Amino acid sequence: MKYVDEYRDAELGQVLAGEILATVEPGRHYKIMEVCGGHTHSIYKYGIDDLLPANVELVHGPGCPVCVIPMGRVDDGIAVAREPGVILTCFGDMMRIPGSDGSFLDAKAEGADIRMVYSPLDALRIARENPDREVVFYAIGFETTAPSTALTLKRAKAEGLRNFSCMCSHVTIVPPLRALLDSPDLRLDGFIGPGHVSTVVGARPFEFIPGSYDKPVVVAGFEPLDVLQSIHMILRQLAEGRCEVENQYARVVPYEGNTRALEVLSEVFELRPHFEWRGLGFISQSALRLSEAYADFDAERRFEVPGVRVADPKACQCGEVLKGVIKPWECKVFGTACTPERPIGTCMVSPEGACAAYYNYGRFAREREVV
Amino acid sequence: MIEARPRAEAGVPNCLPEVGCITCGDEAVEMRALRVDAPRALAVCIDADGSTSEVDLGIVAGAIEPGDTLLVHAGTALARLEPRVTA
Repeated sequence: MKYVDEYRDAELGQVLAGEILATVEPGRHYKIMEVCGGHTHSIYKYGIDDLLPANVELVHGPGCPVCVIPMGRVDDGIAVAREPGVILTCFGDMMRIPGSDGSFLDAKAEGADIRMVYSPLDALRIARENPDREVVFYAIGFETTAPSTALTLKRAKAEGLRNFSCMCSHVTIVPPLRALLDSPDLRLDGFIGPGHVSTVVGARPFEFIPGSYDKPVVVAGFEPLDVLQSIHMILRQLAEGRCEVENQYARVVPYEGNTRALEVLSEVFELRPHFEWRGLGFISQSALRLSEAYADFDAERRFEVPGVRVADPKACQCGEVLKGVIKPWECKVFGTACTPERPIGTCMVSPEGACAAYYNYGRFAREREVV
Repeated sequence: MIEARPRAEAGVPNCLPEVGCITCGDEAVEMRALRVDAPRALAVCIDADGSTSEVDLGIVAGAIEPGDTLLVHAGTALARLEPRVTA
């Protein structure tokens, strides 16, 4: 398959693994964080961790957008879905995220009209087809996904659709990274930067990491060789005493980002003063809401939204997993009380979540470690 | 080829349309444009599995033609991919 096979070549993978081994300093322990949940998924799916020397440790970051949604925001969505005449639409991965009193899936089973969509355009179509209903799109995701919501809102406005609105929980990638880097219990040597977020924002926004925190960043693609090559690039920077942003995914990521997308985002959205991240707490200017120009499409203005903050379950250690302080299997409830079928924490719900990725693909590696 | 690992648990609900992470996160899929409606900045695209869907072309620079390969996330094309990619 074009684009794919050439980035999964096993021989090239072994060559890269050899180069990585030759680059690391014996006796030094390296911790590299992959920011993005998509990378976490690739690492476990293809066993990339098996190709690395024992002293190169991969730490899973906060880059799964559903894993960071706090329970209170789920409750808010359910409250809107239970309003008379409302059709709540959302991506499939939101359906099972636990709120304080059940998930979207539970609310749907109890009679709320909640529908899964593959794109905001599907939500817009539902609104056109149901002019007597209020159709709300529950928007989540980083800057990769936000342009899709923004373009759809522009279409809704141009069409004068009055029964369409958006409950916006879009988040931005740089503020949580800064919060992580300011965390005293975090020890990292470098970052694998998020590839598809960077197709929108570019690689430049990550320059503060080498600039202020002396850590290298390599923006990476998602195929196994992409990830291996990016790890090698980080280790080479460390070996050569360099510290900069490099773009391994240049075949897709323009260093300056997508100017059209950035323009659309700034027209439709504005930064929230603060937003709560599950496990990370409140982070300033880390999420988006609809701008004044799109206030008429803001579901949080159109409906009564409880907006109640709900504490995470005590047994859940998603916060420490998201910060890379503990590995998924070190959580007290991993694989026992918390499984993909019955998740307690959000990291187990999303396939991109570190816990679900480890549970689904990493158990073999864990068994080997134990042996 | 670097093969994907077998899944640890049969039947674990992962990446199924009903529950899976299809459009959110940092994932994007390659799709080929079949039909293009340039004035409305929309295209009908097909993925590797043969599924077709409507794709918003609003942030992709340049004219998109049928046959072009696009990187698509949540129903929006993020970029047009070159016909041949080199590392």
